[in-house]
Amino acid sequence: MRSPLLSSIKGIVTIIVSGENQSQFINEMTKEGIVAWDLKPLADGGLRLKVSVPHFFLLRPVLKRTGCRLNIQKRSGLPFALFRLWKRKGFMIGFVLFASLIIGLTSIVWDVEVQGNHKIAEEDILRAAQEEGLHRYQWIYNLNSQDKLAETLTRKLPNTSWVGISRIGTKYVIEVVEASQPKDNSLLTPHHLVSKTDAVISHIYAERGQPKVKKNDRVRKGQILISGIQGGQTVVSKGVVKGIVWHEYDISVPLTYKQKVYTGNMKRKGYLYFGQTAIQLSGYGKIDYIQSKVLSDLNPVRWRDLKLPFGYMTETVFETTEMELTRTTKQAQLEGIERARSDVLAKYGIDSTIQSEKILHEKTDNGKVYMKVLFEVEQDITEELPLVHNQGE
Amino acid sequence: MSQISRRFRKWTADKLDLPNDLVFNLPRLTLIGGKQLYIENHRGVKHFSPELLNLKLSEGYLEVTGSNLVIQAIMPEEIVVEGIISDIKYRGVGEK
Repeated sequence: MRSPLLSSIKGIVTIIVSGENQSQFINEMTKEGIVAWDLKPLADGGLRLKVSVPHFFLLRPVLKRTGCRLNIQKRSGLPFALFRLWKRKGFMIGFVLFASLIIGLTSIVWDVEVQGNHKIAEEDILRAAQEEGLHRYQWIYNLNSQDKLAETLTRKLPNTSWVGISRIGTKYVIEVVEASQPKDNSLLTPHHLVSKTDAVISHIYAERGQPKVKKNDRVRKGQILISGIQGGQTVVSKGVVKGIVWHEYDISVPLTYKQKVYTGNMKRKGYLYFGQTAIQLSGYGKIDYIQSKVLSDLNPVRWRDLKLPFGYMTETVFETTEMELTRTTKQAQLEGIERARSDVLAKYGIDSTIQSEKILHEKTDNGKVYMKVLFEVEQDITEELPLVHNQGE
Repeated sequence: MSQISRRFRKWTADKLDLPNDLVFNLPRLTLIGGKQLYIENHRGVKHFSPELLNLKLSEGYLEVTGSNLVIQAIMPEEIVVEGIISDIKYRGVGEK
């Protein structure tokens, strides 16, 4: 039997046979092995039938023998469809070009983005990705599968604990989770801990090394507090030693002092600015302030999260004057001691505590208060002293 | 076909219970409703018009009448007729 699909691939010709011996024509045709179908006698005496294209060419001798005539009515099927398409080849070429352009352009990596990196430089990640072939203008087909890429990238970037790669259209996103690394300890040579200053030990705790002093011992500057030689071996001594140290401060505080204050007069100026250039719009006129302070406030035009490089700027000019203020001797004393206290904390560490303070001497002269104050400070007194090997016993 | 071989064939067909169309090349007709008619073992078309199809058989003729008759497929031994079939006449010019 005839297969409709196969015959449409071969091509179908619908013909009309006219002539006297139509039944003879049918018989001869079937004898030749020509397969025809849908034979239909027409009102005008013709016979319409369909044959496949290869069989159509076998019809000629049959027609000659029977004296019938043939008219082609219709051509259908794949070969004729292709022929018609060929006639519109310009359109076809355009269509194929368009399709291949779309497919081609969407199979290129247009962007590689890195997310989640804080310590690792983006360039390093991109370089590692480039070595794996993942870079801009790369064919997507050339790339390994995403999980494999991620695996090799994790191996290449030692400071990451996980790398994920995902493709969003033509963009690749490399997501990095950085490994939290332990702080690398700087290399230490064996050393003693010695005293920075003369002090009385108030607290000693040796984590490593041999403690040489006790609480309430009086130590001199340079004295070994925790020895780096323990049991005949040199160690990196470590520990906390706090001692009470006396600091003497000579303080002088003036009774009168000057301070800048706003008078309350001000003028506003409005500008339109583009990048570095600004055009003044309002607030013209001379400003006759002797001393002044200018505050500018930029108001760029925003679009979504973006600040555009132009906008409105307000400049406010405040008039200032210098005022002379006076304070009492008591206030000056407190001020001086307060300054000294913050100086102690700044110099000897934030964890040092002032145990007591004592004003030893005080006088007011030439509009200034002079003081001598003694501070008793508990502070860290350790200092490292490296052990030199060939100097040993 | 000689008389002896014919008798032999008839005898084998009877004894072995074989279908006659295979043994004697007799036509076999399959009619589906009044719409489609399969004819096997025909010997060619004698006349074909939308109202009448006259087929040669190994013995005699087959007349199919109806309207809008179309030969859906034709092969050397087989023919499929479609249309509104109203009448099938078998005009055997038998020797018996």
